Amino acid sequence: MNGIQVDINHLKKGEVSLGTSIMAVTFRDGVILGADSRTTTGAYIANRVTDKLTRVHEKVWCCRSGSAADTQAVADIVQHYLELYTAQFGEPSTKTAASIFKTLCYENKDNLTAGIIVAGYDEKNKGEVYSIPLGGSVHKQKYAIAGSGSTFIYGYCDKNYKENMSKDETVSFMKNSLSQAIKWDGSSGGVIRMVVLTKDGAERLIFYPEDYENL
Amino acid sequence: MAGLSFDNYQRNQFLAERSKTVPQATSTGTTIVGVKYDGGVLIAADTRSTQGPIVANKNCAKLHRISPKIWCAGAGTAADTEEVTKLIGSNLELHSMYASREPRVVSALQMLKQHLFKYQGHIGAYLIVAGADPTGTHLFSIHAHGSTDVGFYQSLGSGSLAAMAVLEANWRPDLKKEEAMQLASDAIEAGIWNDLGSGSNVDLCIMETGKDAEYLRNYRTPNVREAKQRSYKFPRGTTAVLSERVLDICQVEEETVDIELEA
Amino acid sequence: MATTVASEYSNEVKNTPIEHQFNPYSDNGGTILGIAGEDFAVLAGDTRHTTDYSINSRYEPKVFDCGDNILISANGFAADGNALVKRFQNSLKWYHFDHNDKKLSMRSAARNIQHLLYGKRFFPYYVHTIIAGLDEEGKGAVYSFDPVGSYEREQCRAGGAAASLIMPFLDNQVNFKNQYEPDSHGTKRKHVKFLTVEEVVQLVRDAFSSATERHIHVGDGVEILIVTKEGVRKEFFELKRD
Repeated sequence: MNGIQVDINHLKKGEVSLGTSIMAVTFRDGVILGADSRTTTGAYIANRVTDKLTRVHEKVWCCRSGSAADTQAVADIVQHYLELYTAQFGEPSTKTAASIFKTLCYENKDNLTAGIIVAGYDEKNKGEVYSIPLGGSVHKQKYAIAGSGSTFIYGYCDKNYKENMSKDETVSFMKNSLSQAIKWDGSSGGVIRMVVLTKDGAERLIFYPEDYENL
Repeated sequence: MAGLSFDNYQRNQFLAERSKTVPQATSTGTTIVGVKYDGGVLIAADTRSTQGPIVANKNCAKLHRISPKIWCAGAGTAADTEEVTKLIGSNLELHSMYASREPRVVSALQMLKQHLFKYQGHIGAYLIVAGADPTGTHLFSIHAHGSTDVGFYQSLGSGSLAAMAVLEANWRPDLKKEEAMQLASDAIEAGIWNDLGSGSNVDLCIMETGKDAEYLRNYRTPNVREAKQRSYKFPRGTTAVLSERVLDICQVEEETVDIELEA
Repeated sequence: MATTVASEYSNEVKNTPIEHQFNPYSDNGGTILGIAGEDFAVLAGDTRHTTDYSINSRYEPKVFDCGDNILISANGFAADGNALVKRFQNSLKWYHFDHNDKKLSMRSAARNIQHLLYGKRFFPYYVHTIIAGLDEEGKGAVYSFDPVGSYEREQCRAGGAAASLIMPFLDNQVNFKNQYEPDSHGTKRKHVKFLTVEEVVQLVRDAFSSATERHIHVGDGVEILIVTKEGVRKEFFELKRD
């Protein structure tokens, strides 16, 4: 195998994929994760109400894109490590969680198709977003978008993101962004799921097509 | 060495390159469904197993027991669904004895997905796992690569599209047991009629909290063969006996022994 | 103990380029069966039309009465089958035009079909063809063809998806193969006799219902066309739809 040009984009035959639109955005009180809910096998929608927002700790969550099997396995392992970490050292920081994700994704890059956004809230650093794309690098960002649908909203997000937005502003921004991503990307669809992470914990939101399609 | 043996993997790859016919595993076509309803969950399956275009078994059982109240419907490679279900079934029983607790569906799910993920899709098991445990009733599906889905209704196999059409059209959150049985059977029948990989009968298994699982083998039999037009009984002697030889393959001796019991 | 190292999987095929090519053929399943009697012949076919695991139609007849007491069916790739039948029917029409409505004999029909098939020797009609009718003496006749035109007159022949399932049954029940007179200890074969139309229809129905049981591309219905000196008669029977 050629060490540099590794085909990491390929999915194994018949593998379930999350051709996805996902994002996470920091705001005044913390961070919000958002995702569509479509899972596909080829042209077939294997699940139209998928939950791609996965808990790895009380206030550290992640958005999964790529292979469903790979990202679920990675998230399960991270959740396990964070449980052990908590028992020894107490609440982990978002950065710690992102670092574990990174190690798994980087060390196993040859065998994984996983694009993950880690987002969390901790008292010291407040809301944080770490993006971990295919190769296993880590990028700390104010907000992150990923998945096949994200290509359509780079411009929109760049123009409309503002620092220190309120919760309602952020939800509205994400709803608009994901609405466009879903509209233009055939591999994304279903409902928009969000998880709001603040000092008060995690709050789930759901938006149905009639709520976001004609904004 | 623990785990499955892959000793023949490279040999088979080599053989596959050389010849155009490779041994094929039984059954890729199937329809299986799972339905959650008011007080429980049930799973159903068709009973056809195929080898290419040939029907290998007209009434095979695709519903497997993982534990008394956790059952699983299997699509994909018949041998894999059977074996993986047995393996996780026994590990789950050991686990439940160790923990002195009733086995949970999420445990079965986690063990199955980790096992399948380890084998990177080479174990071709596509499963719908359902059951009742102290936590409630649950329904999941697992793909061969190790990904899992949660839902109120699931369908898998080559007939899954036909079955899902029925489920999407008729499923409601407030279904009663009998309605759910009807819906699941109708979904399987959609597969039986419209998918060539599925056929024959409908098997059903119902799981409710605090009750024993009800396994209804051949709950529906919409494909009983009608009587043949002719009788194909041959007169004795039609097949000639050319020679006859009887071999004693074991000697049987009878002997009575008196045993004296000591006081 | 020789054990394969697990890591060797990741290097599979991945780097080999994938070649895409248009495939002009597909398989539409179904099966056909022709039997010749003393003064009649039958040609039967199931009516299921499939691709892969899908049913396109539960009633798509593929046995045709061409006139002149000639039945034809070309089973395999349905588009080619239809094209061949159309071409033969056209050829028959021109034969009538050119020869003052002279009746086409089975012998000539067979030879004509050979030429239609061999004409596409290097891009063949992907079909197994059977024709049935009465010969010049009024005896039942069945001719069967391979995709490129090699043909033979036979007593009976099954073609298509379940041919390999039905043919041995026919050998045994029509030509009494492997059947011996009881008490002859395998010295005297059961003597062959012509079957009646009723017996043949029964055999055909059992052959198709049995093929339906074990072959996924066969089912829905069987249409039997029967030629006698009185003309062509059609019979239809339901088959299992699973």
